Amino acid sequence: MEMELAHLAAGFGAGITTIGAAIGIGMIGKGAMEGSARQPEASGDIRTSMLISAAFIEGVALFGQVVCIILALS
Amino acid sequence: MKPIFRLLFLILLFTTGISATSQAETEDQNRVDLIGKVVDHHYLDFKPLGTIELPRFIYDDGEFFFYRNTTSLLNQESDRFTDASYLDSQLEKVDGQIVPASYEVVRSDGTTPDFDFSITSHLIFFWLAAIITLLVFLPLSRKYKQGTGRRTEPKGPFQNIFETLVIFIRDDIALQNIGPGKYQKFTPYLLTVFFMILFMNFFGLMPWGVSSTADITVTAVLAIFTFLATQIFASKEHWKHIFWFPGVPVPIKFILMPVELLGLFTKPFALCIRLFANMASGKILIFSLLGTIFIFSELFGPGIAYGTSWIWVLLTLFVYLIKALVSFIQAYVFTILSALFIGLAVDDHSEEQAH
Repeated sequence: MEMELAHLAAGFGAGITTIGAAIGIGMIGKGAMEGSARQPEASGDIRTSMLISAAFIEGVALFGQVVCIILALS
Repeated sequence: MKPIFRLLFLILLFTTGISATSQAETEDQNRVDLIGKVVDHHYLDFKPLGTIELPRFIYDDGEFFFYRNTTSLLNQESDRFTDASYLDSQLEKVDGQIVPASYEVVRSDGTTPDFDFSITSHLIFFWLAAIITLLVFLPLSRKYKQGTGRRTEPKGPFQNIFETLVIFIRDDIALQNIGPGKYQKFTPYLLTVFFMILFMNFFGLMPWGVSSTADITVTAVLAIFTFLATQIFASKEHWKHIFWFPGVPVPIKFILMPVELLGLFTKPFALCIRLFANMASGKILIFSLLGTIFIFSELFGPGIAYGTSWIWVLLTLFVYLIKALVSFIQAYVFTILSALFIGLAVDDHSEEQAH
């Protein structure tokens, strides 16, 4: 029973972290699109900082995923 | 030093966890061993042509043991070592030879040997990537020293391809994030990291190839290098910000100190996990998509599985292309974040004081 609960928790956790990362990356994408639509000449810089902040969000999400993997393997 | 050891311990825990599950999976022969495709092996897999076993190098009780491959290790005279999967069951001999099953070598009483320095498939592809990096860039650097590309236009396909990438890393990553005057010192490191990761990622796209960046130990070593580069060349300002944050009341300084200290180690940890998870998940995704065909054949019968298989094959092709893109993006992200962390650490705010 406890093992099953751990697997269930891992599945839920993976889903919830993915939702969080998706919201974050979506908002970054929105901001970058609006920014480069207003100032097309700055699109290169915007793309770089977009990738960097997306990578940071991805890092936080991966921390959550690692916890879920450890739960699933326990 | 202690947090580094703790990090290594965590990594060890994590990797042994993965290999333990892969062993459990292989016991059931009917299952497709998905995790087994992702983890490290002591052999190179050339299915359906066969496998090549890699040399075993074990240090135990003050003695070195070197064997050509796992089979010769298991068939030696003294039964000092045995395969982990033979502990409970009887030895099965094929043509009078013990055949390795799990490739996990343990002492005959079941304990693990002191150190296992054996060459693994990920290490082979790591070396291949290193050799390719050297083979591409040593002749190129000789060319530039002779003047081709500096005084004249670049000649040949290699110079034309790699000059754009090298200039991009120098100008758009190193110069932008580390700042003028200091970026020259770190450009060689960033270039090496970028091309090593890129070549290692590309090996994962080749048939029978393994991307060694899908191994957490490889990415951890890369992240530790970035961590060391960050801390060794850090300015006084950087250490002041960690231990005695300027411009805030004294009680806040005490609260900020552990937070900043923790932040030192989460940055390389995130670097390591990000690269590992991205590369490993690409592999798992491809195998899961192809595995859907077999799940369908079990659920709805083989006819429907044959009929719908083209969907999954097309999706796999799409994911493969995404993987090629991700190979580039992850190499870029690792390099740009390394540059960013180094830039934050070496920045001594001399320009702001001049104003």
